[in-house]
Amino acid sequence: MSDQLPPISLSEDERDCFQEITNVAMGQAADRLARLLDVYVVLPIPNVNIIEVNEFAMTLKALEDANSVSAVCQGFIGSGVAGEALLIFNDASFSDIAKLLDYEQAQNHHEELEMLMDVANVLIGACTQGIGNQLDIDFSQSHPTVLGQHCAISELINEQQARWHRTMAIEINYTIEDHNINCDLLLLFTEDSVRHLQTLISFLLEDD
Amino acid sequence: MTTSVLICDDSNMARKQMKRALPENWPVEVTFAANGQEAIEIIRQGQMELMFLDLTMPVMDGYQTLEVIRKEDLPIMVIVVSGDIQPEARDRVKKLGAIDFVKKPVDKDKITAVLQEYGLIGGDQ
Repeated sequence: MSDQLPPISLSEDERDCFQEITNVAMGQAADRLARLLDVYVVLPIPNVNIIEVNEFAMTLKALEDANSVSAVCQGFIGSGVAGEALLIFNDASFSDIAKLLDYEQAQNHHEELEMLMDVANVLIGACTQGIGNQLDIDFSQSHPTVLGQHCAISELINEQQARWHRTMAIEINYTIEDHNINCDLLLLFTEDSVRHLQTLISFLLEDD
Repeated sequence: MTTSVLICDDSNMARKQMKRALPENWPVEVTFAANGQEAIEIIRQGQMELMFLDLTMPVMDGYQTLEVIRKEDLPIMVIVVSGDIQPEARDRVKKLGAIDFVKKPVDKDKITAVLQEYGLIGGDQ
């Protein structure tokens, strides 16, 4: 179907609208994380962009100066909207998260995975739910998978490159105050989903 | 008597939503600002009575805006309207002088209740 339709694009009002919806959703997600870790989560201004596969690869490469990263990928779907959430952690964040979650002793591979899953579940779940609530979409989520624990970013890109098309990407960079914890949450929507979302938000953009 | 209200948010949609959430029979003159810097310049002119202030904004965010208002002792009441619902955010803005905190998405009943609580509108609106 997408083949016959013009490529997706966002008007300035639509971009603003998705950004504001994300702003509310990420606040709810941050609140959940703040309670889990007993910290204050610093909220950024989310980025909303239509990107090509190549640009997505570049987005990931931009994280390359962090020597290694770990990422959890989780699909979400509901009411004609589908996408993938990608939570990317700088591995340097692990020791600080471990401290906050009282995983302090005997850090091993298994425990790090468990921590990554805990944080991913909270952030991805609350964020997609927050967006869904505002647009009357009931999202269900697939089981999260760990994409690249301690793998190089290039492997991560190669693993994903085959799967992404032109997509709407929402990027949220969470940092935790007074701790060396930094993670990027990317929400990627399929082209058909973006068209459907544009219909859903049109009522929010009506002038009074 | 018309009340001068400033709505400060970087999102155009959020500004419009906030304006729509004001009580219908309340005589107001609404001015918009897209960040704290713009808001401060408007407030310095001395005509504004009440501001609805977002926290996460470019150029000058809500916290910085509250700090400037306090430092310069600018005459304005501030109600923070934010998606940042962490208890810490609420505590911080109250310490910085905001009279109240309302979470996004804004709700007309909640805004009306807050305005009544501070005597900005009568109890019959």
